[in-house]
Amino acid sequence: MSTDELRTAITTHLQSKSLYPSPTWLTTFLSTARPSTPLPALQQTALFRLLTSDLTTTLSPPPAALFPANIHDATIASRRLDSHVVPVQVLDVEDLSRSRWAQVEALEAAERGETTKGREVVRVVPGEEGLSGEENAGAGKGQHKVLLQDAKGTQVYGFELGAVEGIGVGMNIGAKLVLREVLVARGLVLLEPGTVTVLGGKIEGLQREWKEGRKRALMQAVGIEDAS
Amino acid sequence: MGARILCVAEKPSIAKAVANHLGGSVPARNVPGLAWLKNYEFEYSFDPPWGRCNVVMTSVAGHLIKTEFDSRYRSWNSCNPAELFDAGLTKFVEGDNKAIAKNIETQARYCSKLFIWTDCDREGEYIGAEIRDVARKIKPGIEVMRAKFSNIERAHIIQAARRPIPLDEKQANAVAARIELDLRTGSSFTRLQTQSLKPIIDHVQDVGIISYGSCQFPTLGFVVDRYFRVKNFKPETFWSIKVMHKKDGVNVNFHWQRVHLFDRMVVVVLYERCLQTKTAKVTKMQRKPTSKWKPLPLTTVELQKMGSRFLRMDSQRVMKVAEELYQKGWISYPRTETDQFDRGMDLKAIIQRQTQDGTWGPFAQGLLSGSFNQPRSGRNNDQAHPPIHPVNYVTRDRLNDDEKRVYEFVVRRFLACCSEDAKGESTTVEVDYGGEDFHATGLIVLQRNYLDVYPYDKWESSQQLPPFTVGETFLPTEAKVTEGKTTPPGYLTEPELIALMDANGIGTDATMAEHIAKIKERAYVMTRPRGSGGATMDGVTDGDDEALGRGTRGGRGGRGRGRGGRGGATLGVRGRTTGVEELIPTTLGVALMEGYNTIGFETSLSKPFLRKEMELKLKAICAGTATKNDVVQESLEQYRAVFARTNQQMGMLKAAVRRYVLGENG
Repeated sequence: MSTDELRTAITTHLQSKSLYPSPTWLTTFLSTARPSTPLPALQQTALFRLLTSDLTTTLSPPPAALFPANIHDATIASRRLDSHVVPVQVLDVEDLSRSRWAQVEALEAAERGETTKGREVVRVVPGEEGLSGEENAGAGKGQHKVLLQDAKGTQVYGFELGAVEGIGVGMNIGAKLVLREVLVARGLVLLEPGTVTVLGGKIEGLQREWKEGRKRALMQAVGIEDAS
Repeated sequence: MGARILCVAEKPSIAKAVANHLGGSVPARNVPGLAWLKNYEFEYSFDPPWGRCNVVMTSVAGHLIKTEFDSRYRSWNSCNPAELFDAGLTKFVEGDNKAIAKNIETQARYCSKLFIWTDCDREGEYIGAEIRDVARKIKPGIEVMRAKFSNIERAHIIQAARRPIPLDEKQANAVAARIELDLRTGSSFTRLQTQSLKPIIDHVQDVGIISYGSCQFPTLGFVVDRYFRVKNFKPETFWSIKVMHKKDGVNVNFHWQRVHLFDRMVVVVLYERCLQTKTAKVTKMQRKPTSKWKPLPLTTVELQKMGSRFLRMDSQRVMKVAEELYQKGWISYPRTETDQFDRGMDLKAIIQRQTQDGTWGPFAQGLLSGSFNQPRSGRNNDQAHPPIHPVNYVTRDRLNDDEKRVYEFVVRRFLACCSEDAKGESTTVEVDYGGEDFHATGLIVLQRNYLDVYPYDKWESSQQLPPFTVGETFLPTEAKVTEGKTTPPGYLTEPELIALMDANGIGTDATMAEHIAKIKERAYVMTRPRGSGGATMDGVTDGDDEALGRGTRGGRGGRGRGRGGRGGATLGVRGRTTGVEELIPTTLGVALMEGYNTIGFETSLSKPFLRKEMELKLKAICAGTATKNDVVQESLEQYRAVFARTNQQMGMLKAAVRRYVLGENG
């Protein structure tokens, strides 16, 4: 397969996931790919790389794959982004169903290696799955607010109107979603299972930073300045 | 005439009751040396092979033998407290027990059999073993059996006399292990703490000793944890959408499926979507039979919890009163984990005795006339005692105030268990309004059943819902965004503390009340009635809803009018029961827990983990899967490690004491 054919095959595959890689990114990717690698494996690798990349530097999408310029217009009560299929990455996620303080308490219990099972205080053995019980507690209840960013760097808040599998405080920061003709009300993207596809992935640095800073951010949100 | 047999009960009152059941009116004979100690002599025909015997019935008064360190370790400054982990132990009889032991020795000399009538639980088994050891010192070959009984009702006692069983050595060993562990860990840490910390605070507070106990500390830990949760609490605002629709003259309040969200912008956007849709559509209308389950048979833990909740007594007081009622034969043994009645038990006979009561007699009669239902079965069975239940009927004028309340509770609980669940019909209406789900529920109580005799449970009909049909649409009379604030949890109450201890394996049902009393006595916690001063924290409202759409905001959301009803929005669940005491740690209590937490969370003495492990090991001894020696050694190793670390990092404990008790550096 010629380089051009390879280029096309990979582009087609990524576009089937609504991702439009920039030519530079593709060139770099192909230069590191070993020619002997079978195409499907190469396509998988390309997708994986993109999902763990920062979309603002790796995509060059057509306008229909970006938020419209007036996305933040709060005077528009409600509209559907017709014919827009927008890949985004998640920069922040909040559970709106629980008070921030309750989340701080759960994080602190987890720091002490404890969680509660009903009234029983349970010691969490390091290395066991699901370290903090709160990641399960908040998951899948569909009450999350996420900060979304498109390939041009535009940031918009989204709210999980209907529970979307994969969205929750246990998700990775930098995870990619594809928004297909989503509803936007007063500048808030309304996420529903029918319009949102969770592709997964993450951005390593952001994820670490978010996790480490989460408790401090929650504490600051409830007015504790010295959240050391 | 057959053999001479020595019967020994755990308390004088039991000895007297059993003697009278077996021997008729038996005169009490004084025992030299102790005014209250009596022997009862009579003849009794046991089942073969014992046959007709001369019986001497007497008692001990709880534990007979004291376990202590060898005398050279006994005084406070005799050794480094660390040595107490290995110091030699001696057992001896002291004080009043000398006369009691002497009496057993004297009697055993003339008896060929020893029949033990201590309470049927671990502690009773151990006391039985103590009695046996005293008797065997004088009469090595004496045959030893024990009676298995759980109340001192006549027929039950006679049954027990007919079926002696062997003493359970394993249970006695578990207690022996517990005694040794409590002594070693308690003394070593108490001496260490007192020697290191008392001098720091002596000038501001006379604390006597700063004691440690492996149950006391985790118990205190729960109180301190909650204290900090209350103290550190940050109120937060949340928003909700309330929908009300007036139909057939009824104001139906619909609750938002999302309950509330901690983000105003999101709630306002969702609210606007509701308003844009204009009409709500009924998606579900369901009527279904529902019931409120009658309570489970009564256990000790449950009795203690209910005591502080409804009888205005703390757990220790409830247990003391229950113990007296048991000794007088009015109720069954009050220390039990069992929440299932044996199928073979004649419950109707017990109900029959209650029919003569002026208040609940008719209800009891009703049960006998056909409404009797087999009690529910819980999941616990300690294989020793049935659930707590009334034994004989007693008129209220023969009881004091506290006894009346506990007896009444036990009887009502029992009758409730034998009754039927309360029956009702619940109605649920669900509507879709602007893509958001709302629901309203109604309840009609159709048959009160057990509730008639059990006023401690509440279940009442709510307002009736008018009929709705699926697919029906309506324009809600009112829809508005409401605002509320989270409220801090209350300080820990005794029933909550007991529930925590129970869930975390701290103490046994029989000892929990003592541990709580102990931390009060040590001035580690104080109590005060819930709701008395200081409970309201700054800036905290009680989930009082404030209509957002009112007044100045105008414009959008204009459909909201006036204030909504209260309720539903309170986050922190607060038990609204009256007379409950809340527990607040003293500065010393806080200092100790914080100090240990700083030294190391992993094995902090404020946490329940170590003690829970020990309790499991004691159970293993009872089950025969571990030996006393292994358990003692293993547990001591764990505590010894904590002791070494504590000793090494005493500075942290001292700093905590200075900080919290003396108020130094913040």
